[in-house]
Amino acid sequence: MRKYVIRRLAFLLVSLALASVTLFVLLRIMPGDPANALLPVGATPEQITAAQHQVGSDLPLIVQFLHWIRDLSTFHFGTSIISSYSVGPEIASRLSLTVPLTLIAFVVAVAIAIPLGFIAAFKAKTWYGALLNGFSQLGIAIPVFWVGVIFIFIFALKMMILPSGGIPPEGWANFPGMLKYLILPVATIALVMSSSLTRYVRSATLDVLGSDYLRTSRSLGSTFTQAMVRHGLRNAAAPVISIVGIELATTFVGAVVVESVFALPGLGSLLVRAIAQHDYPVIQGVLFISTFAVLIIGFFADLIQRLVDPRLITNLSGGLK
Amino acid sequence: MKAAKHGRKLGVIGVALAVTLGLIATSAPANAASADATINIGSLYEPQNLDNTGGGGQGVVEALNGNVYEGLYRLTDAGQVENVLATSSKISKDGLTYTFTLRSGVTFHSGKAMTSADVKFSLEKVSATDSKSARKSSFKVVKSIATPDAKTVVVTLSSRSISFIYNLSYIWIMNSTAKDFAAAADGTGPYKFSAWKRGSTLTLVRNDSYWGAAPKNKTVVYHYFNDATALNNALLTGAVDVITSAQSPDALAQFKSSAYKISNGQSTTKLLLVFNDRVAPFNNKLVRKAVTSAINNAKLLASIWGDYGTLIGSMVPPTDPWYEDLTGVNPYDLTLAKKELAAAGYGKGFTFRLDTPTYDPHPAAAAFIKSELAKVGITVNINSVTDDQWYNNVYKKHDFAATMQEHVNDRDVVWYGNPDFYWGYNNASVTGLINQAEQAPNARIQASLLKRANRIIATEAASDWIYLYPQIVVASSTLSGYPINGLNSQFYAYNIVKG
Amino acid sequence: MKTVKAHRSWSLIIGLAIISTIILVALISWLWLPYSLDNTDGGRLSQPSATHWLGTDKLGRDLVSRLMVGARIALTVGFSAVLIAGVVGLTLGMAAGFAQKWLDESLSALLDILIAFPTLLLAMLIVAARGSSLTSAIFAIGFGMSAIIARLTRLLVKRVLSKDFITASRASGTSWPRIIALHVLPNIWPTLIVSFALQFGLAGLAEASLSYLGLGAPPPNASWGSLLQEAQATVMTSPIAAIAPGLLLVALVISVNLIADGLREVADPTLRRAR
Repeated sequence: MRKYVIRRLAFLLVSLALASVTLFVLLRIMPGDPANALLPVGATPEQITAAQHQVGSDLPLIVQFLHWIRDLSTFHFGTSIISSYSVGPEIASRLSLTVPLTLIAFVVAVAIAIPLGFIAAFKAKTWYGALLNGFSQLGIAIPVFWVGVIFIFIFALKMMILPSGGIPPEGWANFPGMLKYLILPVATIALVMSSSLTRYVRSATLDVLGSDYLRTSRSLGSTFTQAMVRHGLRNAAAPVISIVGIELATTFVGAVVVESVFALPGLGSLLVRAIAQHDYPVIQGVLFISTFAVLIIGFFADLIQRLVDPRLITNLSGGLK
Repeated sequence: MKAAKHGRKLGVIGVALAVTLGLIATSAPANAASADATINIGSLYEPQNLDNTGGGGQGVVEALNGNVYEGLYRLTDAGQVENVLATSSKISKDGLTYTFTLRSGVTFHSGKAMTSADVKFSLEKVSATDSKSARKSSFKVVKSIATPDAKTVVVTLSSRSISFIYNLSYIWIMNSTAKDFAAAADGTGPYKFSAWKRGSTLTLVRNDSYWGAAPKNKTVVYHYFNDATALNNALLTGAVDVITSAQSPDALAQFKSSAYKISNGQSTTKLLLVFNDRVAPFNNKLVRKAVTSAINNAKLLASIWGDYGTLIGSMVPPTDPWYEDLTGVNPYDLTLAKKELAAAGYGKGFTFRLDTPTYDPHPAAAAFIKSELAKVGITVNINSVTDDQWYNNVYKKHDFAATMQEHVNDRDVVWYGNPDFYWGYNNASVTGLINQAEQAPNARIQASLLKRANRIIATEAASDWIYLYPQIVVASSTLSGYPINGLNSQFYAYNIVKG
Repeated sequence: MKTVKAHRSWSLIIGLAIISTIILVALISWLWLPYSLDNTDGGRLSQPSATHWLGTDKLGRDLVSRLMVGARIALTVGFSAVLIAGVVGLTLGMAAGFAQKWLDESLSALLDILIAFPTLLLAMLIVAARGSSLTSAIFAIGFGMSAIIARLTRLLVKRVLSKDFITASRASGTSWPRIIALHVLPNIWPTLIVSFALQFGLAGLAEASLSYLGLGAPPPNASWGSLLQEAQATVMTSPIAAIAPGLLLVALVISVNLIADGLREVADPTLRRAR
């Protein structure tokens, strides 16, 4: 087990290194000069050169790369070239919105998906089982931002009971206010995520229901519930855990899009704005953190899966995305 | 057994509902007496940073100009120049030396008293090599700044500049000992900068030791949105009380009720079809005139803004002192257009690339122009460009045939006097007139010289000035005292009263 | 020995029916549109009427025409992205499937990294690097999805290669290319097709999200995603413009998902998986 952990850790570090280089390269082949966003129409040529110098876009690429590596190794994400703020603290502040949003939405989605998935599996042959299956089909086909727009239309504009976006100026200091502003964004993400999670749960449950060990266990005298709990859940859990990492990453992406719909100052809106302005340090910082988060989650998901069922060969586990 | 389980489940659901409803109810803000009200302003223009010489952008003027920072002079909503931190000025006979007397008893929010050293510092900051101020080129004329005592500033110019005092209304007097101008703002204004949550809100709080009249409200919160729809929704749901500058005419229909007031003010933003006057075919003034006469600007304006907006015939908006209605110079007339094309040798028409920014209203205007010009045999290839590409290729490299752009400043007809400006209009007599105007001894002569220059520019159709944007401020009808003209993006908040 | 009986799959039939309709509309749009897309005479944001069945957009263009062109784009995005994902994914996956030891480990690690990176984020990055255009979006989405195809291919190839008849084939002297053609491809094809169908829908959704964020093809692009983005400004006064593109997109995605389910059922009716 320890050997596995070490190998997995090494793999994680290599992945991070690879991700950083890729990020750097991809960003530098962007056409356009970030210095432009700082300058007004009417800027004199000397203002233009001065801006480029400040931004560093006049330095050779290799120098820029070395700066990037140096900064990363000290967990220093540099300063925004457009707005001169320190990227690290800004990302941290944005995370304080995006992380809770993602986690709450994920928990709500799971809370909906598990019971619904079970019902859909147990009652697969009934009309309401089929109906649930149909709804989950619908849920994974709807673009998440469309759900958001519709929710805003119904609850904010027509019924006027919830805000249409933004957050209270005091932030989390105004806890009840924040929750109120997060209701629609969470509902939007959770609707779409729970559909796909329901399908996973249903699928895993159906597999278990038809499986041999369940039948064997029952034939040996356990009740259905006992068999289910002792064998079914553990065996159903493994494939589900393997996709938790991926589904959490998908939830995060959902949050990125939803932040645009609801004007939330989270990591997603920071990224979208930075891309429009070619603000390299910010883009690099955000994407690096996102990759890091996704890889870490994957790492832990793998470990947990190993613990839960060491018989599983990790290479062959995890089904289709 | 089942009944009890159900009962417990219902109980849990009931408690959850109660808690949620309770949260929704208690988070409604209490609005105190009017003088201590919080004004929520909605805008699309978030500052990049808080320094208007450091690339802060349009948003920083909107949030801080006149509210947190003040200048020696101020531009009122009606366009008049008023004394603020300079109580009086003396100009020497040759127009080269300006002596300003500063107001006494003015302190920065940090407590430090304002002196002539701060004025000198602020002026030099605008002209510094790394300054990104849009006003930098207007201050090239300053030769030296002297501070004989704490209340006097003497500025010496290298040549007469009649716009000098006007230009001073854009300069913020900043604290020369302050360390951070990008993330902090230590000014002399009626509000103190309180907090900025990037991507969300910027908060100003009343300055109780302000030297002048106290603002009529206590807190001002600017809410920033990336998207006009989200901004409109915020006004519809009451999350903001006013939108500083409505950009989507389509959505105005939602506000046509007694709960809202739509104000149509004077704007200085012009939509231009810009020709590259250096290269064929647009180096030929007949071709430019023909294209101008082939486009029905009135119809385009009506289709984009409905009843709002104004037609101008030149770069000069009605608020500039040298305004004249020159819409008749190149009127909409297809026969005239075809005649001019033929005279220029393009009777069979021609094709050109139109570099079009991707944000509204440029794509719509470009599509309209394309279909209009098709009627006189001119083919337009619309090439969508991002802001960045526009700045690089069109503005810096002058690599374009024609483009569309909005120009927001007032008094910017003077750009036509600079042959190196991106559109490359080069007319020696216009350049001469404009330089003369700047050195004019008084405003009347300045105006008449610029009028003459403007008439030449319009007659030669240096560009096609399609229309003047309306300045639309939409507010809840309980709000009053907000500026409606938004000159140069400023938005003074101190007279806004709620209720 | 299980006898596999091909049976009628309602999912497949309904899915094929829906997508055929959409393909038909897209094909028709090449030949005929109610109004040309350059025609802005319809009056801005007009309501559905006899002349404009679903009304007009803010420039006066007929919405039905824009939706038809949108069908073209949606299908193009889907097919092209899947093509890219298929070609890149299959090659990488085959290579990884045949590779041994350290090459296998490295390729497998590379694939896992790519998969961990969410497709939309990767697409945003590529679009940021190459500028917004339909080709950038397609390329980005295709590249993002190729990792999933690659990993699946690797899995399937390894499974096939571990079977006895492969060893037997090799023992009897069959060359690797022949083995791939005769044994590997036919065995992995059914599962791959199912995955392609699913990715088709996901590509459509990804393009819509990119357009919504302003990173898709610039105007006057008429993809359903852009139509949705434009329509939300006027959702109070012209709700149809916000509903129609969404419904069509949902229909497209559901249809390919149904096709995927149907193909699975047809291949092995004993399978009751939902995915």
